[in-house]
Amino acid sequence: MRCYAVVLPVRSASGLSGRKGAGDQEEEDQPLQAVLVADSFNRRFFPVTKDQPRALLPLGNVAMIDYTLEFLTSTGVQETFVFCCWMASKIKAHLKSKWCRPSSPNTVHIITSDLYRSLGDVLRDVDAKSLVRSDFVLVYGDVVSNIDISQALQEHRHRRKMDKNISVMTMIFKESSPGHRSRCEEDDVIVAVDSKSQQILHYQKTQGLKKLQFPMNIFHSGSDEFEIRHDLLDSHISICSPQVAELFTDNFDYQTRDDFVRGLLVNEEILGNQIHVHVTKDGYGVRVSNLLMYDSVSSDLVRRWVYPLTPEANFTDQEGHSCTYSRHNVYRASGVSLGHGSQMEENVLISCDTSIGANCYISNSVIGDNCIIGDNVVLDHAYIWNHVHIASNVEIIQSVICDKAEVKEGVTLKKQCVLAYDVVIGPNISLPEGTVVSMHHPEEEEEEDDDEFLSDDAEVGHRSDKTKQKVFNPAEVGAEGKGYIWKASSLDDTEEEELSQCLWGRAAVHRHGTDPESDSEDSETDGPDDPVIPSPEMDDVKVFHMEVLGTLQRGLEENISCDNLVLEINSLKYAYNISLKEVMQILTRVVLEYPFQQQGSHLTPSQYVALLLPLLKKWAPVFKNYVKRAQDHLDCLSAFEEHFLEQESHWAAMVKVLMNMYELEILEEEMILRWFSQGATGDKSRQLRKNQGVKEWLQV
Amino acid sequence: MPGPYKETDLTERVEAFLSDLKRGGTGAGPLRGSAETARETTALLRKITAQARWGSAGDLMEIIRKEGRRMTAAQPSETTVGNMIRRVLKIIREEYARSRGSSEEADQESLHKLLTSGGLSEENFRQHFAPLKANVIEAINELLTELEGTTDNIAMQALEHIHSNEVIMTIGRSRTVEAFLKDAARKRKFHVIVAECAPFCQGHEMATNLSKAGIETTVITDAAIFAVMSRVNKVIIGTQTVLANGGLRAINGTHTLALAAKHHSTPLIVCAPMFKLSPQFPNEEDTFHKFVSPHEVLPFTEGNICKKTDLNHVPTFGKSFSDLDISSLSFFFFLNTSHFSLRISGEILSKVNVHCPVFDYVPPELITLFISNIGGHAPSYIYRLMSELYHPEDHEL
Repeated sequence: MRCYAVVLPVRSASGLSGRKGAGDQEEEDQPLQAVLVADSFNRRFFPVTKDQPRALLPLGNVAMIDYTLEFLTSTGVQETFVFCCWMASKIKAHLKSKWCRPSSPNTVHIITSDLYRSLGDVLRDVDAKSLVRSDFVLVYGDVVSNIDISQALQEHRHRRKMDKNISVMTMIFKESSPGHRSRCEEDDVIVAVDSKSQQILHYQKTQGLKKLQFPMNIFHSGSDEFEIRHDLLDSHISICSPQVAELFTDNFDYQTRDDFVRGLLVNEEILGNQIHVHVTKDGYGVRVSNLLMYDSVSSDLVRRWVYPLTPEANFTDQEGHSCTYSRHNVYRASGVSLGHGSQMEENVLISCDTSIGANCYISNSVIGDNCIIGDNVVLDHAYIWNHVHIASNVEIIQSVICDKAEVKEGVTLKKQCVLAYDVVIGPNISLPEGTVVSMHHPEEEEEEDDDEFLSDDAEVGHRSDKTKQKVFNPAEVGAEGKGYIWKASSLDDTEEEELSQCLWGRAAVHRHGTDPESDSEDSETDGPDDPVIPSPEMDDVKVFHMEVLGTLQRGLEENISCDNLVLEINSLKYAYNISLKEVMQILTRVVLEYPFQQQGSHLTPSQYVALLLPLLKKWAPVFKNYVKRAQDHLDCLSAFEEHFLEQESHWAAMVKVLMNMYELEILEEEMILRWFSQGATGDKSRQLRKNQGVKEWLQV
Repeated sequence: MPGPYKETDLTERVEAFLSDLKRGGTGAGPLRGSAETARETTALLRKITAQARWGSAGDLMEIIRKEGRRMTAAQPSETTVGNMIRRVLKIIREEYARSRGSSEEADQESLHKLLTSGGLSEENFRQHFAPLKANVIEAINELLTELEGTTDNIAMQALEHIHSNEVIMTIGRSRTVEAFLKDAARKRKFHVIVAECAPFCQGHEMATNLSKAGIETTVITDAAIFAVMSRVNKVIIGTQTVLANGGLRAINGTHTLALAAKHHSTPLIVCAPMFKLSPQFPNEEDTFHKFVSPHEVLPFTEGNICKKTDLNHVPTFGKSFSDLDISSLSFFFFLNTSHFSLRISGEILSKVNVHCPVFDYVPPELITLFISNIGGHAPSYIYRLMSELYHPEDHEL
């Protein structure tokens, strides 16, 4: 944790009191933690991930999760929680062998549950088990990155110190021009950011839209300058404060990080939470979210963009996996044999004990362990995993071939084909573009769609018995072929499109020339519910006032906890469309008027104080939840002032109440002083008189 | 007796060192200087000698070889690690021979003897000597002391090589050369020209450090090396490794500099401590080169070479914009058609291969003199130093 040394002077300069300084010290001793979600919660890689979880799919012959863990370890993370759901036992077995060594600087805890169905569930579980103690790094198990996040982490911590925990999350983006091959079309975002504070003002996925809408309120926010950026690549790495997990618990409808970001931005005024960005120019950070990304990340890896995580570094310490690196980015592990006249053109990675026949032409490809490749084979952008047999005269272009698949003689795989585990194709057949072949029958999948997430290995085995009864279609997979075509005509049109989207991502669909209309349509439906906030009508404010009063009254009678009160007030705020400022003022007024409401307006100041003080004490957490920023304090104080202007007879009580609010840490001394010095605008005669008491107290 | 606690402690140290080595080389060469790596390696080897379980010199050598292979594999470009392992192995051989009572150099003086006896074979290291451990540790401590003093020893010779009002050229940043020049600057006035050494531009840092020490310094681009060379009296450079044939594996651009110096018959002096001397030959290709992320050569954003459009450059709106009286509540932002041209250029760029090598090979013919911590040597003398420092059987770990 290098960054601490740098953070310290800044903190001491900020002039925090000694008590808080001690708190900092404690926080600094906390090891950096990370939450790694080793499940994608979608079916992007589907027929492939039926046999192997996505996090374990090999990328450059190393499981994807290894890259993520290596990234976390090298960034200084000391404790990682890996959350698995689909095929958790396989992930567990994989991690046990490599990352759970006692000598590892990064302690890996594996938490499995079949009940996780989204990122939201995972984070709610993090909160329920209270696993994280301080800021943590949140990543997916398929992120490949070498970004140095220490600076982002330092900025994040600094913001949290300065702004009283308002900033809850820092998202890490990488600069990358639009249309860059490592940008995932589905993840394309437009972000409006405050130039100075790097706070996110607006966040929207473009999803192929040609026209974007921005709410006007981002232009009226306090900042002088802001940026609207489309040149950012989401690395899917975020630094979160523990509050993030709590917020997921509070809002049980948040499923993904996008939900969270959108929710937080819409509710920024109520909850007062902010999200920031950190934009990095160097480093590499991409999530492998579909096969198109798999293709581009693999080629980036072979082209050494992810240095030092290069294939020849063998960072996972696999025996026999060390390879040598030679010109034109050609990597060869031990035991590789290459036939006469075969060429490895460029960007080729061949893992150990693979033999390649004569007169082959290989470029931009990754080949796994123990593969046997025949003569006159052409491979371009081919990703061949382990134990694959490829016979002679085969041509494979931009395709993925999984473990133990077999390609017989004379087969041609056009672009974007996928052969899942154990499939046999051929001989002498040409698969059209985008064909997906799997040993699992697509219809059988339909049947058991519902319990898909709950199924485990045993069930898969049981299924394979059933598949044997169905016959393979020789016209589709060749005379000796084994496997079912997944994009067959049995599926209707919409699903076909969906499937190709699933595997190769949206960009692939574009390239096929499918109309981009469908994109804009569906993004319109789930497009941003624009937070255009019209000024609330007077009626709403009044009703809201009454509701808050009612809520507090009920809260007192039924002894409801302050957290729940906050939740209720928040939901009321939505219902009546009240701004945060008004919530603050109304809340203050309601509380101050509460004794009058109950006992009538004839109370003496001393009676009033006696009634009010216990109430204040009780509801202090509610206040603290809303009163965070400097402006909040001033708003609260102005409501306070208004109240006492109306109740002239109770000025005597004012000082006491104010003092109490100060002691309960609802209001800060600094802010009271500021209000005091500013507040003398109108009604000077009254102000001056009542200031008498305040002045004395403040001067002390 | 080393307890189980000590054993785990030791493996932890080794693992930590290994992962340090693996992650060390981000971007511009190692984060730490090679002197520090050499010291750390030697200290670790001393720890292994002290704490591992071994009965005879043969056992110890086997342990050290095993760890050594892992260490060199972790970061093949860092040859200092391998060099230090070979030095320690040599120390063990010597101490063993001394314990047996035979003279240290008896086994390799004459060619005839070398051919007939074949040196001490592994079998002969089986004998147990009680004081061997203490002796080896003592010798490793001496080696450590030697390592501590290398930079100073080299810097001390500066006044013999740098004269008043000379123009010296150097490239990139080398801690040894920096110390060397600073030492000379205490007595003499001279001018240093620093080639910046793109793309990492360590030369900038070097120039700042030198000018802080009061040396008149000029930074030039790498392309200007040849043009400026005619004014230069001496070229003084550092290196990453000195190879067995007397050639160098040095920072990228050094070969250009050496050729320019040869053309102008300017003497080229290499400041290299003895621990950089490696029994490697330049033909061992796979570990010789080191390619890092091409980021420094062509930024990942790739914005610089595609057609610039308004989207490519981030639009920034000032406060004045929001002060404008816009009646509608929303602001429309059009992605213009250039978005598509950008996508096309992105695809073309994915076909561009960018390489970013870190090291150059400089053949021995271009080098005039090596200055090491034990004095000055010609490149042709390197083989001799090699045989003094390392045992021939240790060249392959």
